[in-house]
Amino acid sequence: MIDQVKQKINDLLSNGSVKGVVALVHTNGNVAPCLYQKGDDLDKLCLGDTDSAGDARYPLNKVLVTLSRQYPDEVFGVLVRGCDERGLYGLYRLNQLDPERVVPIGIACPQSLALQCECKKPWPDDMMAGETSEGIDQKGVANAESNSHSERFSYWKGQFLKCVKCYGCRDICPMCFCRECSLECEDLVSKGDLPVEIPVFHLVRAMHMADRCIDCGLCDEACPADIPLRLLYKKTAQIMNTEFGFTSGIKKYEKSPLSLMGPAPEK
Amino acid sequence: MIVLSQMLDFCGIEKERLRARWVSSAEAPEFVEEINDFVDILKKLGPSPLGKEQVEAVA
Repeated sequence: MIDQVKQKINDLLSNGSVKGVVALVHTNGNVAPCLYQKGDDLDKLCLGDTDSAGDARYPLNKVLVTLSRQYPDEVFGVLVRGCDERGLYGLYRLNQLDPERVVPIGIACPQSLALQCECKKPWPDDMMAGETSEGIDQKGVANAESNSHSERFSYWKGQFLKCVKCYGCRDICPMCFCRECSLECEDLVSKGDLPVEIPVFHLVRAMHMADRCIDCGLCDEACPADIPLRLLYKKTAQIMNTEFGFTSGIKKYEKSPLSLMGPAPEK
Repeated sequence: MIVLSQMLDFCGIEKERLRARWVSSAEAPEFVEEINDFVDILKKLGPSPLGKEQVEAVA
């Protein structure tokens, strides 16, 4: 699979259709995001596989957003998995990226990774390498809801109390792009105080994720306190789906119901 | 509103504690009725489980 990707990147770079390609590099024993440009050595290119397939993931879309803000007229390629592609769709919709200026290089995830990520759609629509593995049924939200009201309350209170307010979830999130974050607004969140205001701090983020979260699970991986953030955002996504028939990142140009005024659109 | 009230419920907080209504400034009786109704519900629910002492007791 990696040879196909290398070939594709090489083609794109040498025919000049892209200025650079955002992908991963394996260097000094670590995997890191890297911008490949014409003439760069593709030998160290990596798909994020260290011990097992895809165990080193990065929000490459986030790197791409930063790049395209600096170089708005250039075209960039980007390595995408199923989740990243959902992210791209979301970022197109939210006017953070121009679909004309992005060339996605899609790779499918192996079954082991799909299972580990509990991923519903471990392949991109626009796929150039890899074999489609099966989507996994998600049970997290239903499991959490089978507990009683008071159990849920003490569960989440316990989880939220662990928060050290490192903002890691926001910083890793490929769908968080605002220049000003409401979680850093001092009128809303007092600086330096712990524990954070429960449940306001986490629910503010959950609300902002309602029509954005692409369920990539990077927040869960990043959280040093192991707060099950993804479960929280999965619930918001589920509400959006049942109430408005909307799922973030599934259709390319679908507008979010939260960006419309007036009655709820037809399901 | 729909999303937030369901999220509160998911986190185990009574969703009745959240309410939004549009009342015109010319509709004083409606406003009074709304507030009284809300206060009654809150009294029935009792103090919020998120009161300072109770959160600290867990921490």
